[in-house]
Amino acid sequence: MSQLFDLSKAIMQERIRAGRMMVIWPLLAMFILFSTWGLSDPKANLPSGLVIDSAYDVMYASTAFIIFSATMGAVLVSFDGISRDRISGVLEVKLSQPINRKILARSMVIGHWAAIAIPVIVLNVLSLFIIWYRMNSFPDLDELFIHFLANCLLLLWYTSIQLLASSWARDMGSSMAVGLGTWMIFTLLWLVLTTLVAGLMGIEIADLTSPEYLRIEAIVDLFSPNGVYHHMLEWPLAESGRHVHPGMTSLAAIIWSLLPVYLFTSRMDKLTP
Amino acid sequence: MDKSNPIQWSLAAHCNGWHAISGTMESILSLSDVTYRHQVRDTSTWKPWVKRDGAGIHSIDLEINKGVILGLIGPNGAGKTTLLRVISGIFTHDGNIDKSIETRRSNIGHMPEQVRWEGRSTVAETLTAMSLMHGSEVDVDKLLKRVGLSSRSDLILDNLSQGMRQRLSLACALLGKPRILVMDEPLNGLDPLAQRAFCNLLKQLASKGVAIIISSHQVAEMADLVDRIALLHHGQLLIEGTINSVKDALGLDADDVDLVDMICAATGIDPDDVSMDLSEDSMLPFKRLEVEEE
Repeated sequence: MSQLFDLSKAIMQERIRAGRMMVIWPLLAMFILFSTWGLSDPKANLPSGLVIDSAYDVMYASTAFIIFSATMGAVLVSFDGISRDRISGVLEVKLSQPINRKILARSMVIGHWAAIAIPVIVLNVLSLFIIWYRMNSFPDLDELFIHFLANCLLLLWYTSIQLLASSWARDMGSSMAVGLGTWMIFTLLWLVLTTLVAGLMGIEIADLTSPEYLRIEAIVDLFSPNGVYHHMLEWPLAESGRHVHPGMTSLAAIIWSLLPVYLFTSRMDKLTP
Repeated sequence: MDKSNPIQWSLAAHCNGWHAISGTMESILSLSDVTYRHQVRDTSTWKPWVKRDGAGIHSIDLEINKGVILGLIGPNGAGKTTLLRVISGIFTHDGNIDKSIETRRSNIGHMPEQVRWEGRSTVAETLTAMSLMHGSEVDVDKLLKRVGLSSRSDLILDNLSQGMRQRLSLACALLGKPRILVMDEPLNGLDPLAQRAFCNLLKQLASKGVAIIISSHQVAEMADLVDRIALLHHGQLLIEGTINSVKDALGLDADDVDLVDMICAATGIDPDDVSMDLSEDSMLPFKRLEVEEE
């Protein structure tokens, strides 16, 4: 256990000091802090009749920006987790060490995940102070817990998917292409897929707020990390209108947490330089 | 000369001015009928997931002895790196090796060819992280001093020269006091002085009983360093023994015969007509000395 955490810490430190963090930090700061600042403005005129009247509402609405920035950050931190070492020859040194490959794989996941999760958590904590400053209120503890848990899990899912892609790819370009492709599918193209499924099931897609469409969207979202993330964030909301049983969301979250990590761990067992 | 006779072999080595081995040769690793084929993309089909057997090594029998420096020689693509990776437990193989993959990873220090260490971690931090993977208590300062990097321990990897990177790779290979050192082209990137120091360090380690397997194209340095050589070609081990015994077996009598002549004699390449062309057949057909041609 100590080996796992010591190694995870070393990987996290190495990643968090990488040059790319000079880009990721400001990007995250702009998306998370500025969105919180704007959304917590009592005079803000939001689109789609969105009403924000509590601290948690601000945090929930700001996750639309976290989806774009933090997940992209996870991709940028992890896309060369394996492929860079493969090209430089460092992977061969690592694979010749007597460490259990499963422990090595798990420490890589934890290390890479921590390197992006720590900045996101720090900025989320800062955003709480912005909300307090602008609205003079804090979210409840259970709301905070769900918000931070969902964020941490979302980053874990993207990190493990990206590391898996990095282990498949023979070069960093392919790894980046797989990672960005996955990110685009879940972040940008999922709505297209959802409407396609709804259309095939004979549901009217002209009105994206109809109960039938929302029901289908809620189910299709369970197959996307972003969708499960939003399902989790909707738990504290009184009215989400999507009616997915928390058990289903929890099950999907567990599968998304275990499956990519399991695939990556298995892949590491037979990885060659 | 009977290479199975350790006393005769040791005397011969001493008389030839090579690193002399005292006592009997104790086997610490034995390979028998070891085969590994790389899985390569099958370009005859559009399916990207279809793989076929590519080049590799075939039916290798080899004995690694304590305190002996074994030089692997052979043309490009002969299978030297593949054999080293199999020995180090990086590739899973067919055939028998008398130590399990876990035991080999614990007892073998592996130094790959030209590792390009990069990043903003320092030399000391990198070695510490590697020692965590090795799972052994390591005195990082002592190890860095041994490979001549103690004055550069706080330097970040991006600022290392190739020679320093080689030294760091050597330090990683020396983690956990290995019983066998496996080194792929370790002299590349080192200046002549560093090469001499490197060879001295290897001889010093061998005198302490560490078996060393080294693959190198630096023929002159190899000839001075190794106790035995193994000639690989097309994934086959053609011959293995002391330089004298190999010369005898190849029918090379002259004193000024070097490793290039041996490679040419063993592989059938005409030394006066050496070209840049790579052999088209990656593995078979092959021939083995003292064995009928297959």
